Amino acid sequence: MISAPAHTIFISPIGNFDSDFIAAVSKEIQRIFGFSISILSFLSGLSFAYDLERDQYNSTTIIQKLGIDAPPEATKVLAITEVDLFIPILTYVYGEAQLGGKACIISTHRLSEGLSLVNAENRFFERVTKEAIHELGHTFTLKHCPDHSCIMHYCRSITDVDHKSDQLCRYCRILLEDEIKRMDSKSDS
Amino acid sequence: MSSTKILIVDDELIMRESLAGWLERDGHDIDKASSGEEALEKTRSTRYNILLVDIKMEGISGLEVLKQVKENDADIAVVMITAYGSIQTAIEAIKNGAYDYLLKPFDPNELGMLIHKIIRDQAQARENLFLREEYKERTRFESMIGQSPAMREIFNLIQDVAPVDSTVLITGETGTGKGLAAKAIHTNSPHCEGPFVVVNCGAIPEHLMESELFGHQKGAFTDARETKKGRLELAHGGTIFLDEIGEVSMRMQIDLLRVLEDHVFYRVGGTQPMTVDFRIIAATNRNLEEAIRNGIFREDLYYRLNVVSFEMPTLRKRKEDIPLLAEHFLHRFAQETKKTIHKISRPAMDEIMLYEWPGNVRELENAIERAVVVAKGRNLQPEDLPLFRPITCVPAGASLKDVEKTHIIKVLEDCDWNISKSAKILEIDRTTLYNKIKLYDIKKPH
Repeated sequence: MISAPAHTIFISPIGNFDSDFIAAVSKEIQRIFGFSISILSFLSGLSFAYDLERDQYNSTTIIQKLGIDAPPEATKVLAITEVDLFIPILTYVYGEAQLGGKACIISTHRLSEGLSLVNAENRFFERVTKEAIHELGHTFTLKHCPDHSCIMHYCRSITDVDHKSDQLCRYCRILLEDEIKRMDSKSDS
Repeated sequence: MSSTKILIVDDELIMRESLAGWLERDGHDIDKASSGEEALEKTRSTRYNILLVDIKMEGISGLEVLKQVKENDADIAVVMITAYGSIQTAIEAIKNGAYDYLLKPFDPNELGMLIHKIIRDQAQARENLFLREEYKERTRFESMIGQSPAMREIFNLIQDVAPVDSTVLITGETGTGKGLAAKAIHTNSPHCEGPFVVVNCGAIPEHLMESELFGHQKGAFTDARETKKGRLELAHGGTIFLDEIGEVSMRMQIDLLRVLEDHVFYRVGGTQPMTVDFRIIAATNRNLEEAIRNGIFREDLYYRLNVVSFEMPTLRKRKEDIPLLAEHFLHRFAQETKKTIHKISRPAMDEIMLYEWPGNVRELENAIERAVVVAKGRNLQPEDLPLFRPITCVPAGASLKDVEKTHIIKVLEDCDWNISKSAKILEIDRTTLYNKIKLYDIKKPH
């Protein structure tokens, strides 16, 4: 865990999520980033990003609004939604983040694909936390990692998501530490 | 190692932006153009690895962009982006040299796999080129030559730093002989009985770099059929020379830092720590301090490498060495080609002395080699040096930079603005040519 309690990550569930589930996801995020976590729903709906033709929601539009509407004390903000997300050139995305920016979003819409009856709940929770940490990692300037087991690895399929670990690899951990140090020195000056 | 440079060409802002944002997270270096005209303008001054081009655009079409880009530089991979109704045009584009096409909106997996495949293919091509160059280098190695004060200072420095075990960082422009200086330090050091292992960090594809440096255990990855020693291991007891260190990826910088600190590493897929003893010499033509400011080079690694450092002088700063070097290359290439050429004529030497030699000693070496091949008489004449002939055509008041610019334009025109062909004639690589086109603001007439 990287300790930097001076910062806060805001988690903004959009839709009907179980509060225990969000609390458990938050705990995992805190384990990786070491920041304090605040859960606050500050976007009431996503109709502003709805695309009638595609019957999907434009994730870029959402994270732009998230970044603007986030409370000033939020270092980073992660939205979690059940709706299906897209960016204009791609058919769908599991999530999107502002690289080195403030906001990111993940969708649980496609994360329940191919779940077997055994252990389905746990597996779904793992997928959501992995994607949440992955997108947040991008806001800390981390790019996709070639290490298949690293949480920053770009997954081509849901099976890849299941195969990767819930940890950052050594490289990405160091790069994250560097970024947090940079953020600390910026906030000090 | 530098990231893949991708140009997205689409007249729809939303498509450009969404695709750029997506690819940036993969660590690629993204540039955007909103029209075919802008794309062609950008490709004249910048070298891209991949172009993603929308077929349907106002003005110059995607197909025309493809045609002109491939004419200039056949190695650029062009992927056409098309809507469902234009598949036939996309197929036409493939026939005209496009790498592939994507039907928009496309599946994220499809895009990722395609980019990955292009990078792998291009890396393979670069590796083949690297192996050929390495072979050429091995057969060409020779000692350093120079009597100028600038070179005498370098010889003194080498004598001073060689006996101590400190890491050395050699800076200087391309072709100034950084590799020769590193070899000279090794030869005069207590490690001289050991091997001198060169790693050209700029030429080894990133995905091969880890295995190349650290070696791998059998079965570490699909192609690891045998256990292989890496170059660090091979350098045990000697010197490892990390050439073009400024091109190393951020990931590899982390690993190198650890090796520099502990002299311990693991083979890929290995669990046993390997302890090695070697001296490290690194070289770069990049301004590493600027690279640190730009966030592409680690400051901690820089301070580890920069224990002792010196800069190799450019050939412009030691013009008095040019006749000595030119004669040396003349005799060597005359011997190699079994031609009877005794010396360089006075007019030819005057032209050689007038030239600015932006590619330094390596450019001079290439120019003499070429002159020896084409020379008919016993002495090298100005006409054997076709590279410099335009000098006689430019006004007496022209600067050397003007001459170089004029010559580059002349060669580009002769080659119908084909970058690959022009670079070959100028005996520089395509990236250098692109940089010069940008520097001199050379534009193809419309």
